[in-house]
Amino acid sequence: MTTPASLPLWHSVRLRMRKATWNNQRIDWSAYVFILPFFIPFLTFTVVAIIFGSYIAFNDWGIMGAPQFVGLANFKEAFTDEWVVKAFTNILRYGLIIVPGVTVLGLIFAVYVNKRWYFSSFVRAAFYSPNVVSATVIGLVWVWILDTQFGLLNKYLNMIGIPNIPWLTSTQWSLIGVSIASIWWDLGFSFVLFLAALQEIPRELQEAAEIDGASGMQSFWYVSLPILRPTISMIVTLQLIATMRIFSQVYMMTNGGPAGSSDSVIHYIYETAIVRFRLGYASAVSLMLFVVILIVTFIQQRLIRESA
Amino acid sequence: MAKQKKLTRREFIRLAGLTAAGATLAACAPKAAPTGAPAAPAATEAPAAITQAPAVSKPTEILHWSWLAASDGEVWKQMIDSFNEAHKDKNISIRMEVIPEEQFVPKVVGAAATGQAPDFGWGTAGLRAKMIKDGVVVPQDDYASKVGLDLTDFTDSSLKASRYPTFDNKLYMTPMDAMSLQMEVNLDHVKEAGLDATKPPTTAEELMTWAKAMTKMDGDKVVRSGIMMTGSGVQPTVTWGIVARQLGFLRASDDLKQAAINPEAGKEAMQWVLDLFDKEKVSTRDVTDRYKAFGNGEGSMFWTGPWTLNGYVTQGLNFMTVFFPNVGGELHTYFELGGLEMYTQKDQGRYEATMYALKWLSDNCFLWTTKGRGAAVRKSVLAQPDYKTAGHPWEVRGAFIDGMKFATEGEIPVLEAPNFTIYSGGNFLAKTLETVWVGEKTIDQAMEEIQKQWQSDLDKG
Repeated sequence: MTTPASLPLWHSVRLRMRKATWNNQRIDWSAYVFILPFFIPFLTFTVVAIIFGSYIAFNDWGIMGAPQFVGLANFKEAFTDEWVVKAFTNILRYGLIIVPGVTVLGLIFAVYVNKRWYFSSFVRAAFYSPNVVSATVIGLVWVWILDTQFGLLNKYLNMIGIPNIPWLTSTQWSLIGVSIASIWWDLGFSFVLFLAALQEIPRELQEAAEIDGASGMQSFWYVSLPILRPTISMIVTLQLIATMRIFSQVYMMTNGGPAGSSDSVIHYIYETAIVRFRLGYASAVSLMLFVVILIVTFIQQRLIRESA
Repeated sequence: MAKQKKLTRREFIRLAGLTAAGATLAACAPKAAPTGAPAAPAATEAPAAITQAPAVSKPTEILHWSWLAASDGEVWKQMIDSFNEAHKDKNISIRMEVIPEEQFVPKVVGAAATGQAPDFGWGTAGLRAKMIKDGVVVPQDDYASKVGLDLTDFTDSSLKASRYPTFDNKLYMTPMDAMSLQMEVNLDHVKEAGLDATKPPTTAEELMTWAKAMTKMDGDKVVRSGIMMTGSGVQPTVTWGIVARQLGFLRASDDLKQAAINPEAGKEAMQWVLDLFDKEKVSTRDVTDRYKAFGNGEGSMFWTGPWTLNGYVTQGLNFMTVFFPNVGGELHTYFELGGLEMYTQKDQGRYEATMYALKWLSDNCFLWTTKGRGAAVRKSVLAQPDYKTAGHPWEVRGAFIDGMKFATEGEIPVLEAPNFTIYSGGNFLAKTLETVWVGEKTIDQAMEEIQKQWQSDLDKG
């Protein structure tokens, strides 16, 4: 409650705030009020967390007690930890399967719906619906679908003469099994973006191509695809980042096994920090992942820009 | 008609500021005192056979975190409900919250770090050295004696497992039930294979005969395991742990100074597990969920714990439980002791009330140890004439109780205890062994890594 004694101070603050300028323009404080509901949680749970995590990466800490400074020891250990190497290799392998899978299939399905071919309304809902299901449900459902002996997928493969594949229980297949579930889950997102982009392509351009005698395929290849390049670039970038942070599917379907063959970096970080309480070491691996994502994204953006 | 007043920008900012300040103040306001128990006169008489509830002047709500979420969780809820029913006029009650098992320890430690730990929770003997060192779990000896918990009524092994030699040998858990891994056998498969269910396998040779008789093959592939296994995770790890011990391998010396004694026995056990898949062909690696698989008839013999009983009995599975066979020469099996541990509190006055609750639950553990989970650890309960007839049928429950006498493979009570646990699907041991099961590393390489890591863990204390 404002006391009479504090009134002059409050008035002076109000006066100063009203007169405050930035680049010779009066500051509109109401804008700051609008961003406040986002800014405070962002500051608390993202900015502060990043700064604290970076600090902890150079310490040995297990929640209780004070962190002990260990310099670069956590990073040194991470570089020689075979499970960390395995996890980083795995996320690159996931990227090589999931990113093209999601991008190509998303585009194909978007074209299908955009052309309004058979059942396109149903297909639109069917392709997008997995994206709104939680990762836990996806994981549980796909564990059953991919079960070696009783799974639906193997049952269908058996019908065409393919023997049972140990999708989740062998080192050769577990990463592919998790990737299949991930593609199914993520497809809806790229599908919607592609569909929106396809619907934005001016009709005149395609008509002009048709008049010039271009076939449907040529029209798509030489007219639609170049226009879709920014969307492809965005989807590839976002999907690559999402794939490098893959966790829920791994946690639910294989727990990283067998023998770390499907482990991901985030899952390894989770196990290190939450199960083994090595928060300093886990933070160091997190920073390494951050750097890897930064580099990969940068390279990928450059490649796309150059090819454009 | 009155002219509608427009909200100016300045008024909006003021209003928003006031709302934000109000919300902040509301969030920071102290919580109301716990009101879980009714405002009744102080405790008068506790139920028969237990001592009086502590004289608490205001309602005390004890917060309990449990990770029991399967069929055993239902029975545990009945136990908590019984406590609350028995104390509805005594100013003391328990509020139970179920925390997923894998999040349990992180949440308890996190809550303790912020001074908001629950009063008590489920623990496993031997696994809490780090939490004890950090002051999260508190010793119970003094409070046990204050509330009159009769420690002489507990089995020696349960008390021994609940104490930590490196922490003045104090009691850090009230033992509730003891568990062992024994062998559940699908009786339909036994009948189908023409085997005699009254003469279950007790040796390695007999085990293999039974396993081969009940295994089903499709060409060269096992489609029904005689011995229920998974290609990775808990099942091969715990199997290795038990068989290695039977062959004479020790994870740590008695004085906790030397790791991996008799490594050759450990290697032999790894080979035995591998042979189940590759040589004997009585198990398949292609099982994802072992519990469901055994329940669905995908396996014939399954070594598991008493926590599966309620589910399989309810499901109507036709099975019996027999002792874990003597594969290596000296009979041993996995041992796990479940109990209730108290966590650090700002208000130390809560410990006594919590210990009283623990005493009540221990004194009234008959339901828990006949229908809920493992064997009783109270001599008085074990001696009750109806102990063998109550709860689940003795054919499925008996081996878990009588088999406690050779259940020795418990936890190694050191700071890095989780690295030694044989009942784990993701710890250091399980991960290292997995590389052998999938053929990435040789048995010698794995044993060398295990020896090195465990020795370093023991050296930490």
